[in-house]
Amino acid sequence: MTTRKVRYKKLNIKTPLPVLREHQIDANEYESLTTESQIVTGVEQGEENEYHLQAALKGVGASVDNEIPVPPPQKSVEADYDELYPTPYVEPRNYIKSSDTVEETLKGSLYDMTTEDDEFLKKYNTKRPANAHLSENDFERIMEVFEDTAAESAPYAEVDNTFVPYELMSQAISHHIREKPVQGHAKTIYEYWRSRRQATGNKSLHASLKFETHQEHDDMDPYVCFRRREVRQTRKTRARDVQVADKLKKLRRELEDGRQLVVFAHRREVLKREMLKTDRLVYEQRAKLKETKIKLNIKTDDDDLVNTKPQKRPKTEPQQPPRTAPHSQLRLAVRPDGGRSMEPVELTLLRDKQAERQLELLNNVELRVHDHRRWNANYIDLTADPLPPVKEEREQNFRPAKTTYLMTPPASASDSMEVDETPPVPEKSIAPLVFKAASLEDSDEEEMPSFRRRVGRLGRLFIDRRPGKSRAGLSSPSRESSLQSDRWKYDDNDDADEPPVYKIDTNSLRQMKFRSTIPPPTTLVRRPGLDITQLQAASRPAALPQAQALLQAAQAQAQAQAKVQALGAQGPGAQMPPAQPAATQQIPSVQPP
Amino acid sequence: MSPSALNGEAAVGPDGPRQKSKATIDTLGVGCIAMVEKNGQARRAEILSIKDTKSGRQFYCNFDNFNKRLDEWVPAKRIDFDHDVEWPNPDKDKQKDGKGKNATVSKKKAPPSKAQKRLGKREQSVASEAVTPHTWPEIPDTQPPSKAPSTPRDLEQKSTGTPAVVGDEMDVDEDEPAPEVKKEVEFSREAEIEKLRTGGSMTQNPTELARIRNISKVQFGQFDLFPWYFSPYPESFTQEDVIFICEFCLSYYGDKKSFIRHRQKCTLQHPPGNEIYRDDYVSFFEIDGRRQRTWCRNLCLISKMFLDHKTLYYDVDPFLFYVMTQKTEKGHHLVGYFSKEKESADNYNVACILTLPQYQRKGFGRLLIQFSYELSKIEGKLGSPEKPLSDLGLLSYRQYWSENIIDLLLELNDRDEKSTIESISTSLAMTTQDVEHTLQALKMQVYHKGEHKLVLPESMIQQREKAKSKKKRYISPENIQWKPPVFTASSRTWGW
Repeated sequence: MTTRKVRYKKLNIKTPLPVLREHQIDANEYESLTTESQIVTGVEQGEENEYHLQAALKGVGASVDNEIPVPPPQKSVEADYDELYPTPYVEPRNYIKSSDTVEETLKGSLYDMTTEDDEFLKKYNTKRPANAHLSENDFERIMEVFEDTAAESAPYAEVDNTFVPYELMSQAISHHIREKPVQGHAKTIYEYWRSRRQATGNKSLHASLKFETHQEHDDMDPYVCFRRREVRQTRKTRARDVQVADKLKKLRRELEDGRQLVVFAHRREVLKREMLKTDRLVYEQRAKLKETKIKLNIKTDDDDLVNTKPQKRPKTEPQQPPRTAPHSQLRLAVRPDGGRSMEPVELTLLRDKQAERQLELLNNVELRVHDHRRWNANYIDLTADPLPPVKEEREQNFRPAKTTYLMTPPASASDSMEVDETPPVPEKSIAPLVFKAASLEDSDEEEMPSFRRRVGRLGRLFIDRRPGKSRAGLSSPSRESSLQSDRWKYDDNDDADEPPVYKIDTNSLRQMKFRSTIPPPTTLVRRPGLDITQLQAASRPAALPQAQALLQAAQAQAQAQAKVQALGAQGPGAQMPPAQPAATQQIPSVQPP
Repeated sequence: MSPSALNGEAAVGPDGPRQKSKATIDTLGVGCIAMVEKNGQARRAEILSIKDTKSGRQFYCNFDNFNKRLDEWVPAKRIDFDHDVEWPNPDKDKQKDGKGKNATVSKKKAPPSKAQKRLGKREQSVASEAVTPHTWPEIPDTQPPSKAPSTPRDLEQKSTGTPAVVGDEMDVDEDEPAPEVKKEVEFSREAEIEKLRTGGSMTQNPTELARIRNISKVQFGQFDLFPWYFSPYPESFTQEDVIFICEFCLSYYGDKKSFIRHRQKCTLQHPPGNEIYRDDYVSFFEIDGRRQRTWCRNLCLISKMFLDHKTLYYDVDPFLFYVMTQKTEKGHHLVGYFSKEKESADNYNVACILTLPQYQRKGFGRLLIQFSYELSKIEGKLGSPEKPLSDLGLLSYRQYWSENIIDLLLELNDRDEKSTIESISTSLAMTTQDVEHTLQALKMQVYHKGEHKLVLPESMIQQREKAKSKKKRYISPENIQWKPPVFTASSRTWGW
């Protein structure tokens, strides 16, 4: 060993190394990094020093080629190669793809007769007439059945020395071998088979490998091979369990989705089929009808046929609308594609007519819409636009205390609330009303307590509460009034008459619809801060239509009222009166000041 | 070990001083080490087995520092009886006596270290130590052993531990093995089994019997092959002079008539898998051990005859077999193969690799190795063969590695570029360790002026040029039609 003067830096695999030839470096200046004994060879330690290997390793790089001697193979002298391997091989053009196992590629029985069998068979055949000879193939088939049956019904024959009786064997033979003449040989072959098995200790006649049978004995027996490998155990951790569970869940979900897809696709296809069937049925029926008509020589009008026509052609129709306008074209187009001799003329005519009428109708409608628009051109249709934040609207800001609503009040609502700085002033003129009777309408969502939030002066925040229906009767006038959007209608003081009292849900759809027909209320007009002036400006020239609209609204209100009454089966006499005051009351308020 | 090994110094048999004295034919027993003539020279050899034949007694000898494939049956006349024979060391056995049959404590304390050492060593040393137990603890000329009657275990020991299988008539005159020896054997057995379980996928079978070749001759296609090592063919085959192996399905027959009958029924003409490579010289087939269990088992049995370090302990399921064939008018003839774990924990790209003897020294080994690296390149992995390598394996791999590294470095030298171990490793799909070891073995890695450098020795360059002029065959990667097979989690967990 040479003692090193230089201490080497450890070589990192990422260090760039200059690549040099011998003449590019002074040989005296470097020393080889390692001595040979340090090199890892990967050969077992005990074998590393073998004479021939060492000699060969020494020879590397030198011109001497030391080979490791091995027992040399020879060309076989005895084997008649061409006889043993007679089949010529034809190479397929493409790469070979094959997955047949050895057993599958064997054509013939898996039993291969031995020299002993051969002798027996020859002797056996000499005793028999030439036409009753047993062929080698058939002999092997019989032997195979015997071996298989024995392995199946007496797997421990080797140990307990049981012999499968001939009765069982003959059954197996007749099951596996159909030919009667071959079956006839079975008995003699059985005796031979038995004697052979006996001679070999009742082992399988085919020499077989030793597989594992008994752990203790097997482990050191070099003949025992190809053991099953123990299943690899995976470490069990909670994280893995969770992971696995999640994966399974996900898989389940995805499978379910897939299943749903298939189910729906299936349903769709079934429906399609149904449709086609129906179409066909319709067509056939119609054809029959036609036939019958021809037969009976009925020349009625074609109405009955016509009726069926539109159903018949749901598919073609969508294509036709673009072409509907000119008649002549249509007629030409249909005739060739229909192919039916009788129908086209009348049918197309009808369709033409229908289309025409339809078109006319549409045009008419279109025209009227146009007219209407022009007519309304300079008016502002308050109902068409989003409602301004009228008082009634604010009332809506009370919302039922449903959890869903409470959780996230819509931003827009609070925005609108910010605007109204003064809390609504309850109208004093309105006497507290006592709600005694319940109309039918009461039964809907009224029960729910409601809340609203608003911002008062100096940024104070108000939460207004509206209790549920049950307590409504006891609540303060202001609240009562807020409950009653159209209270003025029932404002006439004929209490003696015990007026019918209607509680109306301000949020009900009908009510909202109705409200939309009402012009802006007085409060709005009076209100500062809103762009009322603008609104007024707009409404001034439109005084007349406005009045008209009001009238209409009144009518509608009356109608609604009547309906409510009819529903409520309330006392008579109150139908008209409430409507009238409402109308009268409203009109002055709208009038320009 | 030491360089003295080249001089043929003691590597056979157990360590420690041994009793030496003269012996006769009759006293010479299994475990003795005698001077035996080999290739005209006297060489130390351990007697592994003895059989009586018509021509006289024969001894199965393992020669000092010679590979096991050179072991042979030797007639008595080649043994030098004038020379002292080293007897199996009785002291060692005596020492073990103390442990007794069930002395678990002492057994656990004393032998483990020894066993440990044994594990680390190769089978030769393992075997030599393990041999001592069931050779004869008494020196033959002392009084006959008062042996206990053979327990079943004794019998088992005898049948497995001693080479009784090789010849029925052998060992007749020998004493029964001593019962106390059993413990030791059993112990080392456990250790060895453990080694098998925990070790690589295909290490060797460590048993004693496996040290002795059991098949004498194999007719395979047009060739007669002479096996090098033990292979677990059916035990009855050991009595056959020659066994027959079908060239295509690799089925084995002890009986000639059976083989002929089989040939009439066998329709295979190529390995039973998918061809993944073809050129005008060779083809490669990929075969799944799980699908083609019979064929792959047969292949393993054949290759075990020529691979010492192969084990057939476990089944072939977890392996893929890449089989190289050459085409003739008869079909695709098996030339060689390598097996590969479907999933290798150690990133091995080859488990076992073999060129059949009749095709050896023709450059096929390099093709096999190259192919294995081409597959690794496609997989985008670095590969290395499973260890231990055999002597021939080491030489083949060294040659392949150095050729490729030198070619690569010459190119870099021409372009005056630097290189790292890592870049060499990635461009050749070799592990960095293999690259380093090769560079060291070729003495190319030098330390000069405080810097690591790679120097291409002139002799290697010349050798490369000479080799290139010989026009060798190479695999053309563009002919490979292969995608790395994917195995499901279940097949990995339950498949083997």
